Amino acid sequence: MNFLRAAGREVLGLFVNDWVQSGVIIVILAAGWFAVSKLGAPALVLLVLLLAGQVVWFARAEAKRSV
Amino acid sequence: MGQQLFIFGAAFLGSAVESTEALTIVLAVGLTRGWREPLLGTVLAIVLLAALVLAFGQLIVTTIPEWALKLLVGALLLLFGLRWLHKAVLRSAGVVAMHDEDRAYQETVNQLGVAVTRRDWVGFILALKGVFLEGLEVVFIVIAVGGPGHAWTAAIAGGVAASVVVAAAGVAVRRPLARVPENTLKYAVGILLTSLGTFWAAEGMGASWPGDFLSIFALAAVFLLSSRLAVTLIRRPSLA
Repeated sequence: MNFLRAAGREVLGLFVNDWVQSGVIIVILAAGWFAVSKLGAPALVLLVLLLAGQVVWFARAEAKRSV
Repeated sequence: MGQQLFIFGAAFLGSAVESTEALTIVLAVGLTRGWREPLLGTVLAIVLLAALVLAFGQLIVTTIPEWALKLLVGALLLLFGLRWLHKAVLRSAGVVAMHDEDRAYQETVNQLGVAVTRRDWVGFILALKGVFLEGLEVVFIVIAVGGPGHAWTAAIAGGVAASVVVAAAGVAVRRPLARVPENTLKYAVGILLTSLGTFWAAEGMGASWPGDFLSIFALAAVFLLSSRLAVTLIRRPSLA
């Protein structure tokens, strides 16, 4: 049972480090999907910039928290 | 050909990192308590992991429509890759201590008792659990990079080659591979998987990338730049 619980935690931990960050990434993907369906390829620029921007944002947030 | 090489490289590097961590556990158990049971546990874990690759690989390719597969695997790959990239950025900036295989080895050894002469279930279970749990990441990487692009051979070859190389190195040196630049590897793999995830997720949404697969290199450049910017903004004196 412990083994299964550890495996479950491990699988979840593959994708989620910080629930807020994971939520933001999913929201960005959902917004990107909507934008791509309306605007086509130009929306990809927005999608990539938002994903790249959250890398900087969450790194700064965690650095501030750990001071 | 370029796509196959990229997928082989991503699977190889990602699997090498996880195989190094699994090797540390097996070495700690084997050198402390004897080799028979830890090796049996390792073999059983590898068999279970191979079964997972075959079962899930076959299942997702035959039952999920291609656009949904790209969107789902792309989103999961993005979450997975960004998690590695986030950790690598924090370690590179000195906010979090680097992963240390020597320390991980010593911690595992400290949890273990002395060598045993009879059947050693503790050694068996520790090796099985360690290799299986670390191997789950290898399984995910192989399925995720090989599935949507129909590049199973390259992905599986990358994963197997990495495991064989790391195991051979472990047999040769008989101690943890502390010199493997784990954070640099995780940084590189984080960027590769994040780029691949973005590429496939957007294709699943119905978008076409300019330059098709070549646009992954542009995506990698964008994520590299943003992560270096993050490191520059939060850099601290390095931690031990």
